[in-house]
This record gives sequence, C-alpha cells and structure tokens, in this order.
Amino acid sequence: MNILQTIPLNHYIMLSALLFSIGAMGVLLRRNAIILLMCVELMLNAVNLLFAAFSVHHADGGGQVMVIFIMTVAAAEVAVGLAIIVMMFRKAGTTDINLFDTLKW
Amino acid sequence: MGESAILVLIISAVVFSAGGILAGKLLVKSKPSKVKSEAYECGVQTIGKSWVQFNVGYYLFALIFLIFDVELVFLYPWAVAAKQLGWVALIEVIIFLFILFLGFLYAHKKGALRWM
Amino acid sequence: MNTLITVSLLGIAAMLSEVFRFKKFIQTVFIAAVTGATGLAVLDWGTSYSYFRFMVLFDDYALAFSILFLVLTLIWLLLSQEYFCNENTRADYFALISFSLAGAIILSSFSDLSMFFIGIEILSVSAYVLAGSNRSDIRSAEAALKYFLPGAFSTGFLLFGMALIYGATGSFNLSNISLWIIANHSNLPVMVNAGVVFLITGLLFKIAAMPFHNWAPDVYDGSPTPVTAYMSTIIKAASFAAFYRLFVSCFSIMADWWTPLLVIAAAITMIGGNITAVYQNNLKRMLAYSSIAHSGYLLLAVAAINQLSKPAMLFYLAAYSVASLGMFTLVNRMGNEQQLDKLKGFAHDNPFYAALITLLTLSMAGIPPLAGFFGKYYVFLSSIRSDLIWPVIVAVIASLIGVYYYFRIVYNMYSKPAASAHVVSLSGFDKSAILITALLTLLLGIAPALIADII
Repeated sequence: MNILQTIPLNHYIMLSALLFSIGAMGVLLRRNAIILLMCVELMLNAVNLLFAAFSVHHADGGGQVMVIFIMTVAAAEVAVGLAIIVMMFRKAGTTDINLFDTLKW
Repeated sequence: MGESAILVLIISAVVFSAGGILAGKLLVKSKPSKVKSEAYECGVQTIGKSWVQFNVGYYLFALIFLIFDVELVFLYPWAVAAKQLGWVALIEVIIFLFILFLGFLYAHKKGALRWM
Repeated sequence: MNTLITVSLLGIAAMLSEVFRFKKFIQTVFIAAVTGATGLAVLDWGTSYSYFRFMVLFDDYALAFSILFLVLTLIWLLLSQEYFCNENTRADYFALISFSLAGAIILSSFSDLSMFFIGIEILSVSAYVLAGSNRSDIRSAEAALKYFLPGAFSTGFLLFGMALIYGATGSFNLSNISLWIIANHSNLPVMVNAGVVFLITGLLFKIAAMPFHNWAPDVYDGSPTPVTAYMSTIIKAASFAAFYRLFVSCFSIMADWWTPLLVIAAAITMIGGNITAVYQNNLKRMLAYSSIAHSGYLLLAVAAINQLSKPAMLFYLAAYSVASLGMFTLVNRMGNEQQLDKLKGFAHDNPFYAALITLLTLSMAGIPPLAGFFGKYYVFLSSIRSDLIWPVIVAVIASLIGVYYYFRIVYNMYSKPAASAHVVSLSGFDKSAILITALLTLLLGIAPALIADII
C-alpha cells in the first residue's frame, strides 16, 4: 500500500498540532501585519492537514471536501485582509501593528 | 522498506548537501575580489536599490486573480466524477460559474480591471 | 430556506445594480426583499425541513432568529440613511449587508459543522470590509485591521476544534456527532474534550467575551457608527444563535464538563465589562463595553442549557438589540464628537425624544416594566433552574454597576448645556427609529410572552 498510510494517525495529529502552535505563537509574538497574516495561514493549513489525515483514517470524503472549502474561504479572507493592510499602510506608512494607536488599545 | 527508506533518504540528503558545502570550505582558498562578487551570465548590476515598490495596480490584479483562481478548486472534485454525476451536476456547475461571472462583471464595472 | 435564497439573491442583485444601472432603486429593492424574506420565514413557521442533504435545518429556532435578524435590519436601515448616501458605494454596502445577513441566517439554521464554518466566514468577511468602509478615516482602517486579525485567528481555533471533533466522531453532521458522543459517553477520547475547548475559545473570541474581548472596544469605536450598530446587534445575535445551536445539539450530554468554562467566562465578562464601562467618557465606547457586558448575561443563558434558555436567549437578544439600535441612532447623530457631555441640553431641545431615549437606557439597565428587565429575568430563571446560583448573584451585582453608567447618559441629557455648545439635533428618520425602538421596548416589556413563548 501507499507509504503515507503506514504512518500512524498520531504522527499526523502531532505534526499538525505543532504547525498550529507555531502559527498561533507567530500571531501572538510577531508585530508585522503581513507576517501575522502568514501565520494565520499556517494555522489554517495545519487544520487542512488534520482534516485530510482524518478523512483517510475514517475513509470518509467529508474531510477532504472541508479542506477545499477552507482553502477557498481562506483565499477570500486573505484577499480582504491584504486589502485592509494595504489601506492601513497607505494611511499610516507602516505595517507594524504596535504603531497603530489612533484608537486607544 | 517503509520507515527505514525515509531514514536513509534523509541521511543521504543531509550528507550530500552538507558535505558539498563542507568540502568547499575546507579545500578552496578564499580570495574575494570585487569582480568575483559581481552578477554574471544571468543579470546585470542593478541601478539603484533592488527593493523597489511595484505599482499598486499589480496587487489589485493579483487579488482578483487569487479569488477567481481559487474558486476553480471546486471544479476538480466535479471533474473527477463528472461521468457518474451526469447532467444535474453539470447544470449546477454552470450555475456556479455563472455566479462567478456576475462577480467578474461587477469587478469590471467597478474599474478593478482598468490599469491605473 | 426560501428566506436564505431570497437574501442571497438580494446580495447578487445589489452587486448587479452597479452593472445594470438600477442603483437608484436598490434601497427599495432591499426593503422589499427583506420584508419578503421575513414573510417567507413566517410562512414556514411550524415546519421543520432539512435541505441540502441535512446541511441546514429550518426549525422554529432557525426561523425565529432569521425573523429577528431581518426585522432588526429593517429598523437599522432607518438610522443608517446617511451611510447609503454616496452613489459610488451604495450598491457595495447593500451587497455586503445582504451577504452578512445570509451568513447570519446560515448561522441560525446550520445542522452540519461545515455549514457552521461557512456561515461564520460569510458573516465575518463582509463585516471586516464594512468596518473599514469609511475610506477617508484612518480610524476606520485601523478598526478593520483590528477586527480582521483576531477574527482570522479565532477562525483558526474554531477550525482546529472542528477537526478534532471530526477526527473523534468521523462525521460533520450535528446529530451524528451527538449520537456518537451519547454512545461513547462513558469513555470519551481526549480529542473531543480538546475540540470543545478549541470551539469555545474561538466562539468567545467571536462574541467578544472576556478574556478575549480586547479587540472589541477599538473596533466598535473606530468603525462608522451604523456599522457599529450592525455589529453589536445583528452580528452578535447571529454569533449567539450559532453558539447555542452548536452546543445544545452536539454537546449537551457532556454539559457538566464544559459549563464551568462558560460560567467563569460569563462572570468575568459581566463584572469586567460593566466596571470598564463606568470609566468611559465617550458614549460610543461606553456602549461598546456595555455590549461586552451583555455578552456575559447571554453566555449565562448558553451555559444554563435547559428548556428555558432558548426563549431566554431569543428574548434577551431581541430586547437588547432593539434598545441598542435606538441608542446608536443618537450616537450616529453626534457625529465625531461622542463625548458624554456633548449630550448636555439635549433634553431641553427634544424633550419627547430625550424621554424615549431615557426609556431605552432604562431598558438596557434592566429596570422592571421594560423589555431589558424581562430579558435578564428569563436568563436568571433559566440559570437558577440549572443550579447556577453564584453566577446569578454575580450577574445581579454587575447589573447594579450597570445602572450607574446608564444613568450617567440620562443625567448628561438632562443637565444644562454649556454656553456655546452645539446641541445634537435629530432628523426625521432618526426620530422614527427612536420612536419604533422605544415602542417595541415598551411592547416587549408589557407582553414578554409575545416572543418568549414562541420557541
């Protein structure tokens, strides 16, 4: 059989949990809005990996359909997010979120 | 086979790439000069800084491309099973593409596709 | 279902009005379609049909919340007339509002985790754009960014939770998940518990409950006021509808395990939100914190999870949203000067409308004969029925703190104006919005059974 299916499910869960944590820590620690966006994408892709792994594990197509939905929705989200960041960059001249303080935090 | 193959692959990849760099460091005498660090064969010296800002128009096109491109991922599952699904699915896909087309019309009307 | 299709088509029609040049009539089309959609939802009442291979289920709960969203949108249109003045952006705004309404209706009717995800994304992505819709103001752009980043972050958490639940149960369908959890109740895998925690975290972010509320005051403050009104009423109601629907239909069997989390979050939110609101001098920011505090009471209703909590939540959301729309009418008219003392002299110039706004304020504070009181009453009743005694005591104390800052608004309206101050004046639409919200508040206060007994 395919070598990918000989890897136990736990390894997939650990890998995606790790990726998810890296993304989450990135969102919490980094200060550049673009990098924050990339970290959010990393989180979503960790989830995609998890869905695909579970989908194979349960022999159920639902998980893979969900992956497709997440990909498209994430693309829409990124388009909106990038547009917002560009708008902010034009007004404030920076993408460092610590410097955005016209509203008190 | 199986896990041991992956292990062998990883080790040989590390040895091969790290070994090359290491051998270069050990064997070659370093004598840097200005001519050596120039771009050659596939480029010329840049004029000004290489960090230039692109026209924001590219970015707008990229966003629109991204949306329409990614929506097409929905067509893959349909394409794989198109024969079994038959006419109903075909009509549904056409409706889906029609809605995307309406979105395209809207983007066109808003001037998102005009070069600024 | 017809409601959902009507609202989705309305969004597409609003976009096409840009292409085929019927922008002038889009408001008429919008009002007609939203009224029609409300009618369709009323016609479906009592039925409980499932569509799209059990992806959505339009039961009475879904229909009641759909009607609530649509009616609130119609009232909201009154106070946001000027928001739609600009010819260039009118069609876009109507399209975004329709899409987010479609998201809200999906959130009240999903019966599948994937629909839950799609609904919450349709709702939020439109809301991110709406928050940044005032392109000339840097505050609006900043609000959009501060809304977008936590929103996308919390989506990640929601999805991870869903993935773990799917991994354990092997299904996206809410009733299948529920059946699986009932079957394996005695030894649940840790994956289910972790998934529930992730889902709760993501949802607490979305409803701006403490300790995940940091983004909310800034976003509410920076967005254009009509958008703030929309976010703090319809979007909040939709998030709560989804929260309750998800937890009551999937995880009610393991309620003992997760209610403590919600109760603690609710207690912090009620106390923290109300205390912070006391220190605000800006009316819009004060309403933002008060909105956070109200999330706390609603969380208590979700945590109680019994027969009474469904009507309690619906009634509380209706009462709070109606009063809040009336208050935001006033904030909208204050323009960029939203300091509380700018209200001075308002009662002298508009005694009737000042009285109506006082009524709305008292309703939000929870003074007896008004709608807000019955909202709190039902929430407390359902919590006590679930033996949540100490959270109710905390909630009562928090409401008492709330009364103080709500009275500050009334006090400022009735005090004398500064010598050369510009006094707020209302337009005809504002007056009708305040009148309608005040009448609804009175009506719900006199006859709470009108809403509380229907689901």
